[in-house]
Amino acid sequence: MKKLVVIKDVSKIYNPGENEVRALNHVSLTIGEREFVAIIGQSGSGKSTLMNMLGCLDTPTSGKYYLHGQDVSHMTDDEQSDIRNKEIGFIFQGFNLIQSLTALENVELPLIYRGVGKKERDRLANAALNSVGLEKRKTHKPNEMSGGQQQRVAIARAIAQAPPILLADEPTGNLDSASSKEIMKIIKRLYSEGRTVIIITHDPGIAQQAKRIITISDGMIKSDIINPDYKED
Amino acid sequence: MGVIREYLKSAISSIRNNKGRSLLTMLGIIIGIAAVLAVLVIGDGLRAAVTGEMSALDVATINVSLDVAKTDKCFTPENMEAIERNMSCIYGLSPSVSLYGNGKGTKKSYNLSFSGGSDALSENGQNKILYGRYFTRDDVNAANYVCVISQISAMKLFGYENAVGETIEITNGDITKDFTVVGIRENTSMDESYAEGEDPSLQGDVPYTTVALAYNKDVNTMFTKVTAYMHKDNKDEAAAKMKSVVENVLGIRGESAVKVDASSGMDSTSDTILNVVTAVVALIASISLLVGGIGVMNIMTVSVTERTREIGIRKSLGARTSSILTQFLAEAAILTFLGGIIGIILGLTLARIACAMVDFPYTVNPVLVIVVVFISTGIGLFFGIYPAKRAAKLDPIEALRAE
Repeated sequence: MKKLVVIKDVSKIYNPGENEVRALNHVSLTIGEREFVAIIGQSGSGKSTLMNMLGCLDTPTSGKYYLHGQDVSHMTDDEQSDIRNKEIGFIFQGFNLIQSLTALENVELPLIYRGVGKKERDRLANAALNSVGLEKRKTHKPNEMSGGQQQRVAIARAIAQAPPILLADEPTGNLDSASSKEIMKIIKRLYSEGRTVIIITHDPGIAQQAKRIITISDGMIKSDIINPDYKED
Repeated sequence: MGVIREYLKSAISSIRNNKGRSLLTMLGIIIGIAAVLAVLVIGDGLRAAVTGEMSALDVATINVSLDVAKTDKCFTPENMEAIERNMSCIYGLSPSVSLYGNGKGTKKSYNLSFSGGSDALSENGQNKILYGRYFTRDDVNAANYVCVISQISAMKLFGYENAVGETIEITNGDITKDFTVVGIRENTSMDESYAEGEDPSLQGDVPYTTVALAYNKDVNTMFTKVTAYMHKDNKDEAAAKMKSVVENVLGIRGESAVKVDASSGMDSTSDTILNVVTAVVALIASISLLVGGIGVMNIMTVSVTERTREIGIRKSLGARTSSILTQFLAEAAILTFLGGIIGIILGLTLARIACAMVDFPYTVNPVLVIVVVFISTGIGLFFGIYPAKRAAKLDPIEALRAE
């Protein structure tokens, strides 16, 4: 199994000095290709910081982060932007769709920043929306859709330009149980299609559906196990 | 290129989503642009109206005078001919002298007010010969007693228009001379107004040499002023050469004794007033544009704050600093560009109405319109820099956390 994410002895310290907060405390972690990982922790455990780090939204105070063999721990803002665009598909708790754009336009955004031409962009965005079952909602704006549908648009946006990693931050946090099931089903399918999926959650019920479960607390990894109860759908 | 189009599209949709606010923001730009454009166009119209009658003719004039305090030289028939030979771009020079007196025709006698000049006077653009001919250089050199009179003068003196060959007996004091009519010219508005009324005086032209001869004066010491006539296309060239040619021919050295006045019909005072008014309104308009620009900066800053989360989302999806910067700059530029377009339409409409009301010609220089479009877009780019930079520098994590 090829190594996709390698985190070595990473710390993140906020407010260095007397009142410093160690959000991550010497964390090391390796995630291979085609893994399905849940990172579980309570609020304040450092899981959000870890997720920002994994998503190249943040840089570590110390330690190294290799993504696809490339050291991404000390990059400029623009270099981070390019890495996010190429390597990572984000799925957020609050969907994070742009309200003034239609579903299709939202899905096209990362492709625009990638510099993909209009025709190809259309094709990729349509394919992504079709794959989450939103053929008929392409011209709808976010406020014309249910939460479940909005999250499906967000998933389409995350997979549109085929990044190797899907990073989902509480993807079902804002959804009712029926929609949650639906979203988890799609996420599992994306994993089975060959993507690496990392879910950040505080909900053991969600974490239980992953193949590997990493527990984080006080900025440190407490356990890292293969889920004995994991079952393929 | 495709990326720029996406930014423009997104900027336009953002403006469309905030129609009312965008319009209010544009107001300063609209008013400023409309005011400055209207004033410039109306000013052009005024200028054209004042100089219009002059430029309707193909003839232009330049007045040349000698400062009697600095030189005792005068214009003489010889040196005027020499100046003409040195300046092929002019039709000719003519001094100006008046001949007053009582003129007796075959029908009746009238007061006369004749202009004495050279044959170059025939080029002044108002002498359309209907019968006969204008007097010639030979008439001038020989000081022949010939004259050209207006239609109405012929009617009054002789009772018919084609009075070529008739003789007018002109008496001034104890001098009486007979002048042969060699030509009849079309009336001008002046001829008619002078020939009617309680104290009519008839108009006509005679050679200046004849006037000098009749009054027994020395033609070589009479004139310190002459008028040069030329095609209007040659005016600039003539004005540039005139001073040095006159100085050389007359042998005047050093001191600025030769004055060349090439101003057009519009006198310099009203030109200055117009320029001052234009400058003042332009100043007020630029203050309005400045305030408008600050308004754009203000509203863009608000927009950046409101859309912090959107900026975070875009960054998380891979938008670079420059992408966000371009997006917001484009939005500000489109806002002021649209404001500029509306301002142009408004300003030109105002100018058109104003010009129609006071009967000025209404012409729009397309270059002016293009410049105004660029200025208004430039204002957006300039005042958009600060908010756009703020947007571009936002930290994606914090931006995503914003409500």
